[in-house]
Amino acid sequence: MKAFAYVNPATEKEAVAALKIDGIAMPLGGGQDLLARMKDYIDSPDRIVNVKGLDATVTATPDGGLKIGSAVKIVDLAENAQVAALYPAVVAAAGEVGTPQIRNQGTVAGNINQRPRCWYFRNEEFVCYKKGGSRCFAVNGENQYHAIFGNDGPSHIVHPSSLAVPFVAYGARFRVVGPNGEREVPAAEYFTMPTLQNVLKENVLDDEELLTHVILPAPGNVKHGHYEVRYKQSHDWPLAFATVVLMMSAANGTTGANGTSGNTIRSARVVLGAVAPVPWRSRPAEEALAGKPLSEATAALAGEAAVSEAKPMSGNVYKVQIAKTAVKRAVMRAAGIKTV
Amino acid sequence: MAKYSWPEKPTLLGTPVKRLDGPDKVTGRARYTHDINRPGMIYGKIVRSPYPHAKVVSIDLSAAEKAPGVKATLAYMKPGDEVHYQGDPVAAVAADTEERARDAARLVRVRYDALPQVSSEAQAMAADGPKWSTTQPNTRAGQRAETGDLEAGFRQAGHIVEQTYSTHVITHVCLETHGAVCEWDGDKLTAWVSTQGVHQCAQGFAQALGIPQTNVRVITQYMGGGFGSKFAPDSQGIICAKLAKAAKAPVKLMLDRKEEHLDTGNRPSAFAKIRAGVSSGGKLTAFDGQSWGTGGAGAGSGFPLPYLYQFPNRRRVHTDVYINAGQQRAMRAPGHPQGCFLTEILMDELADRVKMDPVEFRIKNAPPLAPNAQWIKYFQEGAKRFGWDKRHATGDPTPGPIKTGMGVSAHLWGGAGRGSQAHVDLMSDGSVVVKCGTQDIGTGTRTLVAIVAAETFGLPVSAVKPEIGDTIYPFSGGSGGSTTAASVTPAIRTTSVNALDQLFAKVAPTLGVTPDQLAAEGGRVFVRGNNSKGLSWKDACKLIGTEPISVDGKWEDGLSSSGTSGVQFAEAEVDIETGVVRVKRILAMQDCGLIVDKLTAESQAYGGVIAAINFALFEDRILDRVTGQMVNPNMEWYLLAGMSDVPKIDIVLNNMPERGVIGIGEPPTVSTASAIANAVRNATGATIRSLPLHPHKVLAALEQERAGGTN
Repeated sequence: MKAFAYVNPATEKEAVAALKIDGIAMPLGGGQDLLARMKDYIDSPDRIVNVKGLDATVTATPDGGLKIGSAVKIVDLAENAQVAALYPAVVAAAGEVGTPQIRNQGTVAGNINQRPRCWYFRNEEFVCYKKGGSRCFAVNGENQYHAIFGNDGPSHIVHPSSLAVPFVAYGARFRVVGPNGEREVPAAEYFTMPTLQNVLKENVLDDEELLTHVILPAPGNVKHGHYEVRYKQSHDWPLAFATVVLMMSAANGTTGANGTSGNTIRSARVVLGAVAPVPWRSRPAEEALAGKPLSEATAALAGEAAVSEAKPMSGNVYKVQIAKTAVKRAVMRAAGIKTV
Repeated sequence: MAKYSWPEKPTLLGTPVKRLDGPDKVTGRARYTHDINRPGMIYGKIVRSPYPHAKVVSIDLSAAEKAPGVKATLAYMKPGDEVHYQGDPVAAVAADTEERARDAARLVRVRYDALPQVSSEAQAMAADGPKWSTTQPNTRAGQRAETGDLEAGFRQAGHIVEQTYSTHVITHVCLETHGAVCEWDGDKLTAWVSTQGVHQCAQGFAQALGIPQTNVRVITQYMGGGFGSKFAPDSQGIICAKLAKAAKAPVKLMLDRKEEHLDTGNRPSAFAKIRAGVSSGGKLTAFDGQSWGTGGAGAGSGFPLPYLYQFPNRRRVHTDVYINAGQQRAMRAPGHPQGCFLTEILMDELADRVKMDPVEFRIKNAPPLAPNAQWIKYFQEGAKRFGWDKRHATGDPTPGPIKTGMGVSAHLWGGAGRGSQAHVDLMSDGSVVVKCGTQDIGTGTRTLVAIVAAETFGLPVSAVKPEIGDTIYPFSGGSGGSTTAASVTPAIRTTSVNALDQLFAKVAPTLGVTPDQLAAEGGRVFVRGNNSKGLSWKDACKLIGTEPISVDGKWEDGLSSSGTSGVQFAEAEVDIETGVVRVKRILAMQDCGLIVDKLTAESQAYGGVIAAINFALFEDRILDRVTGQMVNPNMEWYLLAGMSDVPKIDIVLNNMPERGVIGIGEPPTVSTASAIANAVRNATGATIRSLPLHPHKVLAALEQERAGGTN
């Protein structure tokens, strides 16, 4: 491992300043991704900036939402009562991250910004697009865990973040600070589809910027569902997962203004994980749900619609079926229907 | 009566005795090779070929030699040599820290001429495909056997099944990676090695380094898993010793996880195109199998086929296939899990053809009952214990996506004892030391040694000090083939019996009897039939005098035997909308002759079953089809069961004291995967004829089944 300097800033401002060097500086959260990349010679930063000292609190916002600090540990998110009450899919996703040890150590920003788990990216031998090379080895190689959506670009990774999916589904905004001040980016726009120009990164964060907060809007009259399909029950990456957030027409058991039942879906957000280079918002599934009663039949339709535009690779056609099931079961969970 | 026998009414043998080193292991006091640190010790690192197939053009060590902290470098290959797999060792460095050794290893400049590589069995067997070696062929004829009249057998068949079955390559994934700490004193080498055979390893060092074996001492007090892959010093051991010599300092060289996957062995793949016949009455009539498999770069891939069941007319022709990947090594019951899977899936397909229950069908075609052939009994008893009567016919009719099914499979193994020596010292203060140059590879051998001596002397286990894991102790063989218990325990027994006889000779005059009238039990030496006439063990030993009783002994025939049988039942659940398989229950019926320690014997069965769940569902060495490089040389994408993936496991051990001791390390891992695959088939109605049972295969098989099945 290349020798590096370690900086321990006390404030956001100091942290941003520390990222600006002649060379490569990288922020350190829980370290489980960065240190492994360094040990495997995938990255060799000159300076590591510890950002675990940044905001690690969850606070209520004036509009009834929550603001989550980047340094909040994943375990604390998974066990937070406020988050559980307002955004149960976030709690579900947080509880499914890695292992207890990883959740105890990992941070919210670290989970969102971790690099792809693609086995070509993670093995030094394969100099792929994401490491400055000129090919994606998955195309002609072993792509059983790669993307089934968003495959038009040069890279076929699946985005590794479990938390990003519910954050996008709940319409979160990400607060970013940098040398030129701060900005807020909608979660859905934070993650970038790979192009030859931006393939070295998975999001809009500049090298000298930090993700400091996730700001979740008040959920409103919604029903939530989250479902993850993984092969192993213990430590494993999901084969596919989905968060659905359903804006209901009226409170349960009442009749809506225009005569619709309280069980009718007004609109929906359906976001899939582990299927595309970004958290994958499925418009066809959202359209299939809008205006429908919340039922198992609707759930099945949403599942079908979610994968209607899938473009699997040579070895991952099976993931289409799994993604379909994840969406169906996420909707069923939102409806309170028993899934397996 | 034979000179030596096991006691008829043992007090310790067959009881659950806790592992003596359990507390050391769970507290971290146990020092594995990874934990050995010597004064002035430095660290070795091997430079390995990134290419699966290439010619070494040049090796330039100069930049590495100048790197910070580097104390030694060496070229392991020379220009012109051919590398045959990714991870083939080419050079090595040693530096004062592990990190510097790793960094320096990257400064070794090796130039290669890459050659076309073979990354799969199909590629190797293609007529105009690439060649794994510039000098050797891609395939070689392997096992071949023919019995009976094949044509007549097929004529007698009412039904014929013709299918291709296969298993994949998995690696040993020893939790403690391979490696050594080597320290020289002049031309004498002390090596702490993570090995399954200290004496065998010492011989390996002596031969490779050109020194007398008497100059080599190998020590293995604790070992973190070998499963058949840790007998020789291997390249890493020899390189470690050479670096230590060159640097004039002790060197630690432990492999990392990636090296462990690439260069320390694996279970070969197995394929077979099988045509098999069954009479309409359910009797097997014929088996014709063409099999092949790869053991990697130049290593064989044989396995038994057909497995266990009685096909009166049969033919089997095997081809060894070579590819550019790390060589296979013995892996827990070598060959048997493969042969078992290929045969047992076929058995369920044949049973369905004749509309017979799989247990009934197997009973009809299993070898007759014998001490080493208990299958029929286990099928019957196991079916009762498992609730086999609740099994539905192929295809769970329950609505909903979760389908449940049951499967069964059987296996056999040898587990014979062989030459092993031992030494016992009885001191005048009553203390007892038993020395044997065996090693405890996690199976409980240390505890077994103490149990046998304690049983013989009539003492508690804690009163015996077992000394093992070191070549300064009497010779004992490598721990492979499930031979350790059956080799070591007879040696301890005979040596202890002889030591006790000497003690009796010293005690007899005091008690006014002849030695043959004495017995040792319950911490006393007394006159048989007159328990009150005797001495405490301590007082008896006071009569030994200044010169301890010191006895050498060895393995003798009659205390051990060979041949075990086992049957396993599995219940599995399949989510047909995701293809995910979960194992719910396993029942293992198993014998191993005389049980020495019930706890460690059961523990072997638990471990074997869990390892086989990994084989069935998770593990898979995946080579990139384009570059031939392994894409999952880690524990992230090389999947292994965690606690939540392990089902309820019931072990039923059949104690057969009349047979003597037989090993149990390997057999329990043989048939689990087949039982699981048959349970999946019973659950879904879809037959998956290859391992692992990954969701992509399950979904594909279900798809095929919906489209009308495979035949």
